[in-house]
Amino acid sequence: MPAKYEYHQPRTLEDAWRLLAEQPAARLIAGGTDLLVHLRKRVCPPPAALVSLRSIPELAEIQAGRTLRIGAMASVARLAAGPEIGAALPALAQAAQWLGSAQIRNVATIGGNIANASPAADLVPPLLVYEARAELRSAASRREVPLADFFRGPGETCLRPGEILTAVLVERPAPGARSGYLRKGRVRMDLALAGVAALVEQASGICSRARLAACAVARTPLRLRRAEAVLEGARLTPEAIEQAAAAAAAEVSPIDDVRTSAQYRRVLVQVLLRRLLS
Amino acid sequence: MKRLIRLRVNGEPVETAVPPNRTLLEMLRDDLGLTGAKEGCGEGDCGACTVLLDGLPVSSCLVLALQAEGREVVTVEGLAREGQLDPLQQAFVEEGGVQCGFCTPGMLLAATSLLAANPDPSEQEIREAIAGNLCRCTGYQKIVESIRRAARRGP
Repeated sequence: MPAKYEYHQPRTLEDAWRLLAEQPAARLIAGGTDLLVHLRKRVCPPPAALVSLRSIPELAEIQAGRTLRIGAMASVARLAAGPEIGAALPALAQAAQWLGSAQIRNVATIGGNIANASPAADLVPPLLVYEARAELRSAASRREVPLADFFRGPGETCLRPGEILTAVLVERPAPGARSGYLRKGRVRMDLALAGVAALVEQASGICSRARLAACAVARTPLRLRRAEAVLEGARLTPEAIEQAAAAAAAEVSPIDDVRTSAQYRRVLVQVLLRRLLS
Repeated sequence: MKRLIRLRVNGEPVETAVPPNRTLLEMLRDDLGLTGAKEGCGEGDCGACTVLLDGLPVSSCLVLALQAEGREVVTVEGLAREGQLDPLQQAFVEEGGVQCGFCTPGMLLAATSLLAANPDPSEQEIREAIAGNLCRCTGYQKIVESIRRAARRGP
C-alpha cells in the first residue's frame, strides 16, 4: 500500500488551483503510473495530498486545428491509436505505441509523461522535433514554454508552485515534412536504452530543415542541435548522415546503469539516427 | 479518512468505503473478496493485476480505488456466465493455456480486450496485446494458441 495522503479530484481547474494554494505540499496526479510506483517505493516523500486531474474535462481534449492542442490528460493509448495524432504527428504516435504495455498506455497521459521529467520519456523526443510548447497555467497566469526549456534535470522542471501543465501545443509540420521515432529497449516492454526522433524537410534534394532529438542519453531528453546543423543545407547522402550521427554521439552525455552502458547508448544514438534518416 | 465510492464491478453496483491510498487491486481483493486479480510486482510490469476499467485493460495496482469511482470494472470473476466458462476461458482449458495459473486472470482480461477490438488478430497482434503480461512458467506458446482458438471460434 502506498503511503498515506489525502486525495482530491476537482472538476475544474479553478478548484485544482484553489487546492494547490491551500495545500502547497500537495502533488498533482495524472494517470499515476509513475507517481504511484514512486510513492510505493518511497523514492519521493509522501505528499500531504494528491490532486487528481482526471475529472477536469478540458484537460482531456485534443483540438486538431492548424495548431494541435493536446490536453495534458489525453491518454497515451489515444495518441497511439487515434486518427487525430497519427496523420499529423507520426513520430508522436510511434512513440506512444512504444510506451509501456497496453495496461500502462490506457492510463498514462501525455502530461504525466512530460511533467514526470524522466530522462527516458518516450513522448518527448518527438515533441521536441515538432518544437512543441508546454502550456502552463496558474490561477493568475498563463505562459507557453518551449518544451526544450521545460526540463531542468531528472524529475525537475520549470513548473512554478501553483502551475499546472494543461496542454501541449504543436504547429502542424509542413506538408512535405517526414518524421519518425525509433527506440531500442532490452525487450519490447521496457524503458528505452535510447530513443531518437527526427523531422526532415527537403527541397530540390537539399535538406532545408532538420530537427533531431533523443531520450535516455542525458539528464533530460534533448535536441541534437549539432547534428541538425550538419544536415541542414546538405544532401542526405550516406556521408552526411554518418557525419550527423557522429555529431549526435558527441553531444549526448549518457550514463552507465542497470540497463546498459554509456558507450552502448552512444552507439545506439548513431544507429537509430542512421536508420531514421536512410 | 475513508471515503464512500460507488462503481460497478462485474455488472453489479458496488458501494464501499476506502482510504485514499487504497489501490483498486487492494479494494477488489481485500474489500470485495475478488481474489482473481493477483499482485505480482506491484509496479505495473507483470500484468497479474490486470482488470478492465471501462472496457480497457489497466494495471489495478497502479490505479487508486478512488480513481475508479463511477466507473465499470470487470475482473476474471465476471467472465463466466451462469457457471459456464466464456469461450476464451474454455479455449485456455482446451489448449493448455494454464500452467500455475497466477498470470491467467490477467492474460484472460488482456485477451478479452484484444478480441473485443480485433476479433481476428494475427499472432503478432496477440503477442503485442499480452506484452504487458508475464508468465513465469513461460507458457506463452499455449497462451497465444488459446487466444487464437477463441478468435477462430468467435464469441
